[in-house]
Amino acid sequence: MYLEKMSLLDYRNYATCDVEFSKGVNVFLGENAQGKTNLMEAIYVLAMTRSHRTSNDKELIAWHKEFAKISGRVQKKNTQFPLEILLSSKGKKAKLNHLEQRKLSEYVGHLNVILFAPEDLAIVKGSPSVRRRFIDMEIGQISPIYLHHLANYQHVLKQRNHYLKQLMIGKRDDHTFLEVLTEQLSTHGAHLLKERMSFVKQLEKWAAPIHHEITQAKEVLKISYQPSVEATNWEDVDQIFLDLMTQFEKGKKRELDQGNTLYGPHRDDLLFFVNEQNVQTYGSQGQQRTTALSIKLAEIELIHDEVGEYPILLLDDVLSELDDERQTHLLTAIQDKVQTFLTTTSLDGIKKHVLRQPRTFIVTNGCVELEDK
Amino acid sequence: MQYPEPISKLIDSYMKLPGIGAKSAARLAFYTIDMREDDVTDFAKALISAKRDLNYCSVCGNITEEDPCYICKDAGRDRGTILVVEDPKDVISIEKMREYRGLYHVLHGVLSPVEGTGPEDIQIPSLIRRLQSDEVKEVIIATNATAEGEATAMYLSRLIKPAGIKVTRLAHGLAVGSDIEYADEITLMKAVEGRREL
Repeated sequence: MYLEKMSLLDYRNYATCDVEFSKGVNVFLGENAQGKTNLMEAIYVLAMTRSHRTSNDKELIAWHKEFAKISGRVQKKNTQFPLEILLSSKGKKAKLNHLEQRKLSEYVGHLNVILFAPEDLAIVKGSPSVRRRFIDMEIGQISPIYLHHLANYQHVLKQRNHYLKQLMIGKRDDHTFLEVLTEQLSTHGAHLLKERMSFVKQLEKWAAPIHHEITQAKEVLKISYQPSVEATNWEDVDQIFLDLMTQFEKGKKRELDQGNTLYGPHRDDLLFFVNEQNVQTYGSQGQQRTTALSIKLAEIELIHDEVGEYPILLLDDVLSELDDERQTHLLTAIQDKVQTFLTTTSLDGIKKHVLRQPRTFIVTNGCVELEDK
Repeated sequence: MQYPEPISKLIDSYMKLPGIGAKSAARLAFYTIDMREDDVTDFAKALISAKRDLNYCSVCGNITEEDPCYICKDAGRDRGTILVVEDPKDVISIEKMREYRGLYHVLHGVLSPVEGTGPEDIQIPSLIRRLQSDEVKEVIIATNATAEGEATAMYLSRLIKPAGIKVTRLAHGLAVGSDIEYADEITLMKAVEGRREL
């Protein structure tokens, strides 16, 4: 799929803006603080109805304006349709093919995007909670049942932690209710663990060859899910449930002493190994970046697997952080396959011959113009 | 400009009702001023009477004018079955069905450690006392299909089952007369899980 064109109205620093994109690579060239990332964000909002940078939609509306509008036209294999997002201080409206969608969840998913921004390095470098959120978001996009179990898991977890604290300080002494909460937590937790395990396997399957290619066969990437509970069979929900229950029974005393739930998917982590070494601790900056990039590119393939079409790729200020060889490999990996948008302050560092006919846009102070050839 | 004090007080009172905000409350208050005096008096009396004349049944916890309530007193009802609900409103819903002939027990809440509600804070001890007579053969748990409703149901079944009383739970699934097309994923999942052999 690709985004044919996009129009903005009173969006951030853009009063009006109409751009037609190329099917291949689109480059937004401009100095700092001119609105390159705002353009990327606009594409992201058009696809996901929310920004990746802020949770406050009002920030997206230009100063002293009542509302902002982003509209675009999506071309898919067999169909094409317009998308429109209207943001106002009262809320937002999403229109798919001219029809307003009451549920945003019905709107999201018609334009798939993968965004890679400098912040994404946190998937590799950041805390385990960042990685858990990454897994949850990715699986959630594909499986609504997973989101149901996740929401319930988090809800029951809160209840259970409160109850463990009450037991710890002696405010309550009924262990039957603790068993009930443990069983509920394990039921939802087992589903989460099964899905996460198979997702991580898929992710590794796609990310490893990409990483291999970007690093010119110098590095081997392995991804491993680190569960806080050992299960005998990760494909059988009932077995995972039993293993969780056994672990809770074994660790009961510890949990009661600490007044907190110490086992389960909320304590798990995702580890990345390059040439058998943990990238989080021993990897160089460049290796960490490449790892994050491989994972993002693997997502492209994952979505292609699920949806049957390639998503569009947004690379915000990424190229400048990679060395020439890694750049070249990244760009060859995506060309002719994925519509790509990238921002940069200068084309000097980028090998021009690799980019086959990129469409370059000059961004200056909220104005986008096609570069003169 | 400020509202005259009697109106302010009335608006403030309306705002204590669920689902009524400042604007709705103001509209209701001004409407009340224009009502006939008899109607307003009846309205006020109805409010007070609902509070003063209603009590909770000492047996099942349902709202009632007399104690025990008419359902608990009804000799024609099956005393071997008790249906457990969260709220008096749920009793009215089940009664509308006109098919259920057993007794009720109203919990007045669900177990929720976050809100500090434990078994003693809702009507669980009184339910256990009722079950100590040999009459009861089955307890149907009809708490809501929320995480807390499920936890409460599981908790009750653990307390009651060892006594040899049958414990059942209401089914989850498709609403009768509805299209599968319009059902959400979770409901469908529950419906598939709870399928029956034909």
